[in-house]
Amino acid sequence: MTEFLETTVDKFIFRVATDRYYSSEGLWAQAEASPLPLGEGLGVRVRIGLSDYLQQRSGDVAFVEVKPEGTVLAFGDELAVIETIKASVSLASPVAGKVVEVNPAMEITPEVINQDPYGEGWLAVIEASDCPPFLPPNFGGERGGVARLLDPQAYFLEMKREAEEEAKRL
Amino acid sequence: MSEGGRKVVIVPCSGIGKTYGTVSREAAYEVTEDLRPTDTQLVALSLLVLGDEDARAAVAGRPAVTIDGCKLACAARMVEESGGTVARDFAVLDAYRRHRQFKPQGIAELNDGGHELAHALAEEIAAAVDDLSRNGGEDA
Repeated sequence: MTEFLETTVDKFIFRVATDRYYSSEGLWAQAEASPLPLGEGLGVRVRIGLSDYLQQRSGDVAFVEVKPEGTVLAFGDELAVIETIKASVSLASPVAGKVVEVNPAMEITPEVINQDPYGEGWLAVIEASDCPPFLPPNFGGERGGVARLLDPQAYFLEMKREAEEEAKRL
Repeated sequence: MSEGGRKVVIVPCSGIGKTYGTVSREAAYEVTEDLRPTDTQLVALSLLVLGDEDARAAVAGRPAVTIDGCKLACAARMVEESGGTVARDFAVLDAYRRHRQFKPQGIAELNDGGHELAHALAEEIAAAVDDLSRNGGEDA
């Protein structure tokens, strides 16, 4: 069962799931069970979605366009564009690899991103070609994916700081 | 005129500074002033929030069509809290999903997409008003 870090900023409650990694932008990446040995890296499926903070900050989602299956992405390439009541937001892939699955709900009921960002609202699954983010923090290397993602605690602090700054501006 | 002279109450979002709120109000004006002026009555959400007696009386016992600009659904909630019945609740976001070619922008002044979306929504609401009028206030 997923556990969460939680904070309240102004009238908003933000939750961070503790069982995945995050890009500083607010996309989560969660490695799925893989037949490959730990550390092998290649071929690991990584599920991607929006953090609770990112979905709340972005607003109610009207449309989502995810790169189609088969698309090969480098770290930071555009994975999806979400159009919300506030803006169109380009989302950068938190891992490198090939898109192997796109959540069909994005086509029909994209509001699931707002309703269940850590569950049914996932965007896509990427077969990682890079060091995937499930590896232990001490797994390094020049292509190390972990170094480029935040663990839940680090993202929580970063998100909280950003949310508090945003609240002060309002 | 609606059956028995019972006008359908139209209550739009009162969100100020929000594009979708502006779309909801523009759609409400079009329905109540142009498309179905004799079958509908516009009631300001702010008056319901204030507990205004005339506004509460207007929604009591009449079918209400609410137009909400966001998921807080203030219009629908306030009609219910004011003793009214929401016969149909329209959400601007859902309307936009049905009419993606009309991307609304702007707040005080909507862009062309916003005007088109408001018009499309107004047409949908007018059709709902017709259904309610035919069915004596019960949604078809």
